[in-house]
Amino acid sequence: MREYLRWTWLLSLSLVWTLLLGYGSQAQEAEGLEYFETKVRPILVEHCYECHSGMENQGGLRLDHRMGIERGGDSGPAFDSVRPSESLMLRAVGYQDSDLQMPPSGRLGDAQVAILEKWILSGAPDPRTNPGGGITEDLSDELGKPKGMSIQEGQSFWSMRPLGLVSIPTPAQSDWCRNPIDAFVLQALESKGLRPAPPASDGELLRRLSMDLIGLPPEPSEYRAFEQDTAPEAIDRQIDRLLSSPQYGIRYARHWLDVARYSDSNGLDENIAYGNAWRYRDYVVEAFNKDKPFDRFIEEQIAGDLLPDASLESRIATGYLVLGAKVLAEPDRDKLMMDTIDEQIDTIGKTFMGMTLGCARCHDHKFDPIKQRDYYALAAIFKGTKTFGDSNYGAIKHWNEISFATQEEKASLKSIEAQIAEKNGVWTKLKNEAIGKLRQRVKQQAADYLAIASTLTSEATLNEWQNAGQELGLHPRVLANCRRYLDNHRDTPLFEKWHAAAGLGDMAGIRAHYLALFERVELEWEKAKSTDPQIKRLEDPELEAARIALSDAGGFLAIPAKMEHALDDESLKQIHELAEVARVFESSAPDESSAMGVGDKGVVDGLAIHIRGSYRNLGEFVPRGFPSVMITPGTAPIFGRQASGRLELARWLASPSHPLVARVIVNRVWRWHFGRGLVETTENFGVLGDRPSHPELLDYLARWFIESGWSIKELNRLILSSASYRMSSVHPEPESALATDPENRLLWYFSPRRLEAEQLRDSILFASGGLDLRLGGKSVPLRNRQFVFDHTSIDHTKYDSARRTAYLPIIRNHLFSLLEQFDFPDPTMPVGSRNTSTVSLQMLVLINADWIVDSAHRLAERSEAYSSEAPGRIDWLFEEVLGRRPEPYERQRLLEYVMGDPDESSSRWEQVAHNLLVCSEFLYVP
Amino acid sequence: MFHKSQQEPGHPKSHCVRGLAQDFQSSMPSSSTPTAGNVLLASSRRRVLESTALGFGYLALRSLMGEPRAMGQDPTGPSTGVPLVSTGPHLRPRAKRIVFLFMKGGPSHIDTFDPKPSLTRDDGKPPPFELPRVVFAQQGNLLKSPWAFSQHGQSGLPVSELFPNVAKHIDKLCVLRSLHGSNPAHGGALLKMHTGSDQFVRPSMGAWITYGLGTENQDLPAFVTICPTLAHGGVNNWGSAFLPTYCQGTPIGNASQPAKQASVQHIVHPSLDRASQRKQLDLLAKMNEDFSKAYPNEASIAGQLGAFELAFRMQSSLPEIQDLQTETQSTLRLYGLDDPVTENFGRQCLMARRFLERGVRFVQVTHSDSEVQWDQHSDLYQGHTKNAAEVDKPIAGFLADLDQRGLLKDTLVLWGGEFGRTPTSQGNGRDHNPHGFCMWMAGGGVKGGFAYGATDEYGYYASEKKMHVHDLHATILHIMGLDHERLTYRYAGRDFRLTDVAGQVAHEILA
Repeated sequence: MREYLRWTWLLSLSLVWTLLLGYGSQAQEAEGLEYFETKVRPILVEHCYECHSGMENQGGLRLDHRMGIERGGDSGPAFDSVRPSESLMLRAVGYQDSDLQMPPSGRLGDAQVAILEKWILSGAPDPRTNPGGGITEDLSDELGKPKGMSIQEGQSFWSMRPLGLVSIPTPAQSDWCRNPIDAFVLQALESKGLRPAPPASDGELLRRLSMDLIGLPPEPSEYRAFEQDTAPEAIDRQIDRLLSSPQYGIRYARHWLDVARYSDSNGLDENIAYGNAWRYRDYVVEAFNKDKPFDRFIEEQIAGDLLPDASLESRIATGYLVLGAKVLAEPDRDKLMMDTIDEQIDTIGKTFMGMTLGCARCHDHKFDPIKQRDYYALAAIFKGTKTFGDSNYGAIKHWNEISFATQEEKASLKSIEAQIAEKNGVWTKLKNEAIGKLRQRVKQQAADYLAIASTLTSEATLNEWQNAGQELGLHPRVLANCRRYLDNHRDTPLFEKWHAAAGLGDMAGIRAHYLALFERVELEWEKAKSTDPQIKRLEDPELEAARIALSDAGGFLAIPAKMEHALDDESLKQIHELAEVARVFESSAPDESSAMGVGDKGVVDGLAIHIRGSYRNLGEFVPRGFPSVMITPGTAPIFGRQASGRLELARWLASPSHPLVARVIVNRVWRWHFGRGLVETTENFGVLGDRPSHPELLDYLARWFIESGWSIKELNRLILSSASYRMSSVHPEPESALATDPENRLLWYFSPRRLEAEQLRDSILFASGGLDLRLGGKSVPLRNRQFVFDHTSIDHTKYDSARRTAYLPIIRNHLFSLLEQFDFPDPTMPVGSRNTSTVSLQMLVLINADWIVDSAHRLAERSEAYSSEAPGRIDWLFEEVLGRRPEPYERQRLLEYVMGDPDESSSRWEQVAHNLLVCSEFLYVP
Repeated sequence: MFHKSQQEPGHPKSHCVRGLAQDFQSSMPSSSTPTAGNVLLASSRRRVLESTALGFGYLALRSLMGEPRAMGQDPTGPSTGVPLVSTGPHLRPRAKRIVFLFMKGGPSHIDTFDPKPSLTRDDGKPPPFELPRVVFAQQGNLLKSPWAFSQHGQSGLPVSELFPNVAKHIDKLCVLRSLHGSNPAHGGALLKMHTGSDQFVRPSMGAWITYGLGTENQDLPAFVTICPTLAHGGVNNWGSAFLPTYCQGTPIGNASQPAKQASVQHIVHPSLDRASQRKQLDLLAKMNEDFSKAYPNEASIAGQLGAFELAFRMQSSLPEIQDLQTETQSTLRLYGLDDPVTENFGRQCLMARRFLERGVRFVQVTHSDSEVQWDQHSDLYQGHTKNAAEVDKPIAGFLADLDQRGLLKDTLVLWGGEFGRTPTSQGNGRDHNPHGFCMWMAGGGVKGGFAYGATDEYGYYASEKKMHVHDLHATILHIMGLDHERLTYRYAGRDFRLTDVAGQVAHEILA
């Protein structure tokens, strides 16, 4: 109705304006322009230019010249010359549409809005023909909007060029080279006048290989065997041993899980358990162990449910698409859907293509040749994909799962659900009874509460209330609440007497008055009930008010809402114990046999561009498809009529002709071996990403990898066989090399690396003899969809398992302290290159964490079993932990330490063991 | 890898446009490599910093090394992994440190600092305005406030009966009445309030401020959060996301623990006494020195030594702050430590003061218990009465104490929740309302006894001088001497800001 009136008014106004101006076009124009200059321009300058002029063009809109207004911003023209009354500008300043309100800081005054309306309805006369300054940058269009690379430019950008044939260079010192990798590396070194470091020692190399491939240090016997094996292929035998160890899969899976942002909980707005995520984790471990061809690995993760030979295994792989962190309680479900699609597109872009596709959600990519059309072409494919389930828990939406439970299992789960409910019922019943009893008691003493409440003020402390009510056995918090309630309800007739008497300090009067009143209430109520059992109220208004007040749960006798504030210690103890029983039962109850995974929802053959990323502001329709810069010109993808298009997407990514996918994965593998990629920005091969340090080598490896049948283990072997990998971590003449290449990007020596969090914990447990090497299985101690944290903030997750760190729970939002401190990546985003920071909170973990202290204790005990002689014990410890015998001075130093305090000898041995487990030599891989 | 972007003062503010210009510079091929000498110097300095910054602020360390606080000049060049130069203050700082008293769950603005006579008048009537398109749950009719408001102080600003003690300090408060956010659920709103994003994991505002300003105390983290809630965003609310690890907040306990038991994880050895541990670490230092001599060019290996030392010192410096024995009885009373109702929050506030006076840059104190504390969908009267009683006296005591110690003038105090509550009812409670709510500031550089902006006549929508959460963040950074458009970090090919692409400073509230 209001809307109608508004437009009627506008129409009549415009009519007046037309009449006014109707006497001649020239005069009309002059008058219009004058109106603009005197009325309109000041408003634009004051309220709009800050964000919409010159280089500022938020929303793509400039209002400082006529063309800007006519062409408008991302949402379309600000002024509609055909139907001026429907101009976007009017909608924005009208403040009627909650999605479009300008200026954002608050509505303009009515008079100002009226001026703009009048101006627009009269055709928006505007003398400002020449755009102002700031728009001549090469990278901006004529209106100052920045523009990214064009598709044509993009196709000749280094990472998007087709993989060509690369010839292997011939460096001068070619006898150093063990394989083609070395030829590329050495040529780059020689071009800068650098020389590679000498080969690493056997001990150094074995530790490097072992940490690299299985994430554990070699055992002393392995060092010895390697030393004794003098055959030329001794190293290759070690490589084969490590590559075929099942522990390899754990180490390599963890690399991939970083990229796949793996987690056992949602951990964005609501932290509930991904109780079945482990199936995806185990799938990845197995994939690496059996060297699943990487092209197949891609297809399974993106479309494992749609493959012609789809299996349970390949469907579990699609968990990759569901694992992301989601705003599960987002009440705007359409937004939730598009945000989740965004997460999927962004993750796929970074994981497989090294492209920040998410940047094109709101506008064309500002730098890379990715257009907003490309984004929505992909989004359509995921709009047709089922990522969410059909159930929810309150406001919390559930993700999609693939169930493979049998009928019997489903039946037994029903009984388990019932048991959970029953166990929860036990403690809630007990609690309700205890509260009910307290309520009854308080009600019986209502007059006492009122009387004692008058003896202190609202300012009184709880201790004072405790003392005041002690004699009568009154509950101090109820008493304090009562007094506060009375102060807040001075005008309630029922308590007028109380306020009057309290003012006089007449406690006895209060008690007498209310005791009598409440007795009468009870009497009358009984009486009334006996005549009419259905009766709802008492006739007498005063009695009725008292009756209601007495039974008002939030009234003057309110019981504290928090159980801990209401009940006595003994009841609480009992309730807490029973609640814990229920919680533990639920946490360890079996889950339905199911996996996180997607399905097809239907065919969405295209999507309208979401202007500024808002699904409420739709633009041009785009058919589903792939980023145009990555497809051969003229060959648009053809999608099956019956499916979402994910299968086509997966096959396109896994095809040898994709320019980015092979480059990106070989660079990742290189990063895992050397600690730094040939392209440092493993997730960004775009304009803002790093350029490869050895571009030909990268292309050579990419091609070689495809030719090998996309075999990761073959690639491992190639890299590990190179002289480049086998260099020492110390260069004999570092000075000149440091000056030329301080970051060692050209690989003149092998950069030593600090252990990653998992290597650190696994090695400490392994060296002390306490690591459980088993593979697979559920390891998060929570039931699927159970809250990791509800509002209690109690962390029930335990990390006391002896299993490899890859099997510890990964809780988004609350990582295990070791992972948190030692640069474990944020498991909400794909990370192919972890940081290595040195902060003191890490050292607190190293010197004080229980599990390290326990490991030191275990190690010290084992050393005692080995030898009762101190020097022998020290030698044994060195070999066990560091894989070498101590130098004489080292032995002497530790001897002096353990002998330094005979009373504390066993503690001193533990300290020595502890130091060996956290010393730099142990923490770094040479 | 990321690097600190090079910025020029006065460059236009759209991050994308700015990023464009500079990124084409920084992505030039390596033919533009500076002279070898410079690179060596830059590199070794970077390595020293990377390894010995001990996690507590590059800025502070840099000033120890006698380097100038030049803004945005990153001597390491674009391709390095560590942002050497912290931005440092861009502007005149009005406050040196900040404390956020966070009321988890969403305290009602219309029952505390934003009185609405029309609501009282129209109690029980259907709302005469449109409800938002997306609401959290079904909403009832208008519900008047159960509390009376009265004017306080010289300024005469109204405060409800819920905060009789804070009301005595009203002339120190700058009440922000036109806050609005974008997410109506706790998780999203907490993330928005703390990180500026309710969709992605982004650095928290404490992390940004730490990144910008570093710390004033080498023995303590720059950013601590006392008894934070682990629900609804949890660690992300004090995390550093893609900023360096040293920027993350250090939690002291969590909301499930009484403040008395709250401590930093791993702060004590499970069995060893201090003197023995000292000897153990002396031995460790000798072992590590040997190793680092073998790798003279790996500064990060040498950095281990210092990091262990600082950890050892923290083991005494942190518990010392939490030990309140040196406080006088009258101080303890001032914070309400003599009353079980106020003891817990009072202890948190007193700890906060002790952190602040030792140079901790950002302290958050969270009022949250095993429920969603201020979330009164029902029993508004009972719940808010209890919550206010727990914090009113401690906050008043905290303000008075900061003031009398001369700390308030350069400490920014921020009070508020993740959103406000609706003037419409849900039974006898109120629903979440991100469309209009209030917070208040006190101290460092803001006008006292001042109310900024307004909600509509019923308090549903912010209407005058609207202040989005991004605007709040921009204003906070401004008060701390940081320009929210220049405090950026390059990650995944983009320059990120706390305020994303929005944010306007509310200059009017500045003293």
